[in-house]
Amino acid sequence: MMETHKTLDSRLPRRGAWWLALALALAAQISVRWVSDSWADKNAEGAPELYIRSGNALKALSLGYTGLLADIYWTRVVQYFGSESLAHSRRFDLLGPLLFMTTDLDPHLIVAYRFGAIFLAEKPPAGAGEPRLSLQLLQRGIVQNPDYWRFWQDLGFIYYWDLKDYPSAARAFKAGSERPGAQYWMKALAASVAVKGGELRTSQILWSQIYQHVQNDTIRKSALAHLAALKARQDMDTIDNLVAAYETKEKHAPASIRDMVAAGILRGIPQDPSGVPYILGPDGHAQLSPRSGVNLRLLE
Amino acid sequence: MIRRTLAITVHTFKECVRDKVLYNLIVFALFLIGAAIVFGRISVGIQKIILVNLGLSSISIFGLLMAIFIGISLVWKEIERKTLYNVLSKPVSRAEFILGKYFGLFLTLLVNTAIMTAGFYLALWIENRRFEFADLAPLEAVYFILLQFAIIVGLALLFSCIATPVLSGVFTVSLFVIGNFLDDIRWSGAHTGSVALSKFTLALYYLLPDVRRLNFISEAAHGSWAPRYLLVSNSLYALLYVTVLVSASVLIFEERELL
Repeated sequence: MMETHKTLDSRLPRRGAWWLALALALAAQISVRWVSDSWADKNAEGAPELYIRSGNALKALSLGYTGLLADIYWTRVVQYFGSESLAHSRRFDLLGPLLFMTTDLDPHLIVAYRFGAIFLAEKPPAGAGEPRLSLQLLQRGIVQNPDYWRFWQDLGFIYYWDLKDYPSAARAFKAGSERPGAQYWMKALAASVAVKGGELRTSQILWSQIYQHVQNDTIRKSALAHLAALKARQDMDTIDNLVAAYETKEKHAPASIRDMVAAGILRGIPQDPSGVPYILGPDGHAQLSPRSGVNLRLLE
Repeated sequence: MIRRTLAITVHTFKECVRDKVLYNLIVFALFLIGAAIVFGRISVGIQKIILVNLGLSSISIFGLLMAIFIGISLVWKEIERKTLYNVLSKPVSRAEFILGKYFGLFLTLLVNTAIMTAGFYLALWIENRRFEFADLAPLEAVYFILLQFAIIVGLALLFSCIATPVLSGVFTVSLFVIGNFLDDIRWSGAHTGSVALSKFTLALYYLLPDVRRLNFISEAAHGSWAPRYLLVSNSLYALLYVTVLVSASVLIFEERELL
């Protein structure tokens, strides 16, 4: 028996040889990978690709772990956006698909909608420069999370800053202000933006609501100031129309508002909301007196 | 040594055949024919691509399942049934036993893959009624799949020397999954801003089995040929990685107390 074992041992490769084989093979496989990786890098096409673009397909493949996969995809969005930004890239082709897949996987991942919308809307190189896609993402967020009023705020900002569509921005802010838990300033935003879009009447209604319903004195004062400015703007538009009527009747422009009163076009000298009479400027248009307490710059 | 290793190889192969593992071929054939017919009817223009993707993926999945689920009990079963003592009481070393087991299972997978590949080409012929030169491209993908099997069998064998079949299965499947994400692991580490983490993920990248590089299925479905450097580097890589795994298995098994 001892003899047999001895024979066996002599036939066996020494244990040291196996250790040597292991160590050499390990080192060699690392070298092979390193060399082939550098080859692969040379042959790489460069642009990253998304093999699956359907969130629903991914959902099916996730075997129910959609939340986890959504988190992974969101991380990928951040990494992708970050690396492209660092590379000063002006193209973010995968950003939209990645965001839509992330929100397909987890429709309640608020951060993906909000930050994703900013990433998408910003002009290159700060973002993808795709505000329309950004709106789509936010609208999807609103459908999936109807009580989350901040999506409306983001929507309004994208309409305002990126698309310069002031009426739509005002509507978005107004809709958001009606969601449960919305901050009072959403209504103020809507009102301010409505002016920019030429919707003075909408703005006036919104500021009136703010004045009536908000308890905070500072905000109420601000609402009053805005309402005064709006009223003054409307008054001056009316006076300008009457100036035109005066010109038609008298065949010359009025030198002052008193001329219009004398001609029977105005019943008296109109006063702005601060109680100071309006005046006619050198250009023949109505304007506020330098003594006026109304701040028209609030409407800018 | 070669003769004894060969004897165990043949014995392991026969054991696998006796265990009816090749029955999976029937399932594969039915699946492939059924899928080819169904997709042929419901899709337009990509029937061949679907067939290649489906065929090669099935070869890969069936083979991987076999490699894992047979591999994890290769050594464990022999110990549990106490048949190992019979084998080792003969003039067979533990290293020869491990090598024989490894090659036996790999031979089973080789035969299995060869038959499935034949079935795949039969389905391709039924679909197209002719063969083109480009139809040989999937053979490269099959070759890479075999290299993948070689590594997975090595992993399963290694764990089979250490742990129970259940744990071995968990470890092997986990490493297979991780092996598909090595690029992402390295990339994530490199972007954390931590030098230590970056080095750690780089070490993982080089030490863990990179099975993704051995997947050429979707390229083959589009008739692409693997670049020569990939053929050479993948072959070398698999050979060296298997050497690492088998050497480690031998060393562990040599140290193992069997009683």
